Amino acid sequence: MVPPIILNMLSGLGVRLLVFALLVLLVFFLPRMLPGDPVEVFLSSDLSRNLNGAESAELRAQFGLAGDWPQQLGVYLWDLIRGDLGYSVPHAAPVSELLRASIPWTLLLISCAAPIFLFVGAAGGIEAGKAPGAFFDRIATGVVMVVASIPPFTSAVLLLLAFGILWPVLPSGGSEPFFPSSNPLQRDFDIARHAVLPVLALSLHEISRFYFLARGEAITLSQRPFILNACGRGIKGWRLRTTYYGRSLFPVFLARMSDALTGLFGAVLFVEIVFSYPGTGHLIYNAILDRDYILLQGAVIVMAGLVLLLNWIIDAVATSLARRG
Amino acid sequence: MLGYWSPITQSTGFISRGAIAAAGVLVMAGFALSESLPQYKTSPDVLQAPSMEHWLGTNGIGQDVFVGLVRAAPITVFLALITATAALVLALAASSLAAFGGSRIRSAILRLVDVLQVIPSILLLLLLAAWIQPGFLGLVVLLSLTGWHEDVRVALPILLRELTRENVHFARRMGASRRYCLRHHILPAIWPAIVGLFLQNVRQAALKTAGFGFLGLTDPRLLTWGSMIQDSMDYLYTEAWLWLLLPPAGALSLFLVGILIIGEGYMSNGSLSGKEHHDPR
Repeated sequence: MVPPIILNMLSGLGVRLLVFALLVLLVFFLPRMLPGDPVEVFLSSDLSRNLNGAESAELRAQFGLAGDWPQQLGVYLWDLIRGDLGYSVPHAAPVSELLRASIPWTLLLISCAAPIFLFVGAAGGIEAGKAPGAFFDRIATGVVMVVASIPPFTSAVLLLLAFGILWPVLPSGGSEPFFPSSNPLQRDFDIARHAVLPVLALSLHEISRFYFLARGEAITLSQRPFILNACGRGIKGWRLRTTYYGRSLFPVFLARMSDALTGLFGAVLFVEIVFSYPGTGHLIYNAILDRDYILLQGAVIVMAGLVLLLNWIIDAVATSLARRG
Repeated sequence: MLGYWSPITQSTGFISRGAIAAAGVLVMAGFALSESLPQYKTSPDVLQAPSMEHWLGTNGIGQDVFVGLVRAAPITVFLALITATAALVLALAASSLAAFGGSRIRSAILRLVDVLQVIPSILLLLLLAAWIQPGFLGLVVLLSLTGWHEDVRVALPILLRELTRENVHFARRMGASRRYCLRHHILPAIWPAIVGLFLQNVRQAALKTAGFGFLGLTDPRLLTWGSMIQDSMDYLYTEAWLWLLLPPAGALSLFLVGILIIGEGYMSNGSLSGKEHHDPR
């Protein structure tokens, strides 16, 4: 007998594979359904020059537009399976190489920001939800409400202005200096310095989501017998907050994390654009500006796959935790 | 017990209807006014600091920032309201279909919601927006189609709960028609949740449309606060950010805070939480 958790994971995987397949098909058909020819769109941009028939045909083959559409789909899928995402002309590099260079930066930002917004959100939410309506709750909830209402790109721009331009203590863009230091320790330090503002902007945006979640949960938890009992036994301070509230919050946080992942990748896009951070968001945005549709398609497919994979893992962990109760 | 909550639900319903009507009037007034406003046109006075002539200065191509701010207001607000309404209507239609249509349809709809839940919609939207540069209508369609499923997850359980309550069973037994039950028992009960969802949708829609404006992926003729923030990005290293960035960013944030506060006030005025509290069951 297969344990239900495995079945659950498999069905989750099935849904995600289906979604991924649909996305791949959409990415394939979208440029072909819309009016206009990708080759002509490409040629009508700044790179325009007159091509003769042979060159145009060669370009078509390079864009995967030779033959009728079942043939094109076959070529496209076969390339995708082999990991060939095409060639980006404006960057003069294969798409997979560009992605390989940029994904670590995005993951660096997310993995640095996640502990910050999870911890601050949880700590603030527990503190506020323990005594709703008290002094701390009123102040903190008010502040978080205002912060939640500043769009992520605006808060990023304001941070950039404050600490990058008006009071230039931190670098305002990029992921490391133009000429990286040869000393590895110095280089790590530079990378960390460059990551501070983007990480801060990203966390600031995500804190509110987890703050409100933790606050709501803490309010209901405060009514539960085991907390009342713990308070009655004189347990307070750090132990009450971590062992009693914190542990009970964990599954809820994980469950929300899998929903929040899409939003997180959206927010990281804006943050990277504002700070010209060389991650995937910046890459995608420049692909849009350059009308580099091959790069755009490849990046969207890879990022979607990454989001689906992460979201599946988090979901599986969350369900197994929720089953434990 | 049956009519116990009707005064409150009716009064809150009245308030929310009043708020919606007021918003509608404001938006209409904005549109009417924008015709009589000075044109948002380019001029040789580029990057002027705020003065009597240009209250909030001018931008890089000599457009008056204050005029832009006022002209963008109805578009930004209306865009958010319409998108929120469209998403809500879609969600309510799907929820009622799931609630009334039998178990097979319900599980199909829940499955669809699950699928939409895991789609990284921002990537999809970016891809679509890059290709079609959506204008007003395009944004409404794109954002409502990718945003309705979240509402189903909230609306469906509430709808199912209300459908199986005693008052509905009782009324049906006494010969009330389905339509009567819907109007007098179910709608008043779910109305607060609908308003809450609507306000949440407005915030989401406003954030997303501003985001698209900021990325410059909307139709360039569509003037929103988001696109005005985008305009200011090139002038962060000069003094001009003071009057280019702060007014649209402030207006957008004020709008979002306002919606949040209306929602909070609405919730604490006893509709959602109060109802749960005094529920006899």
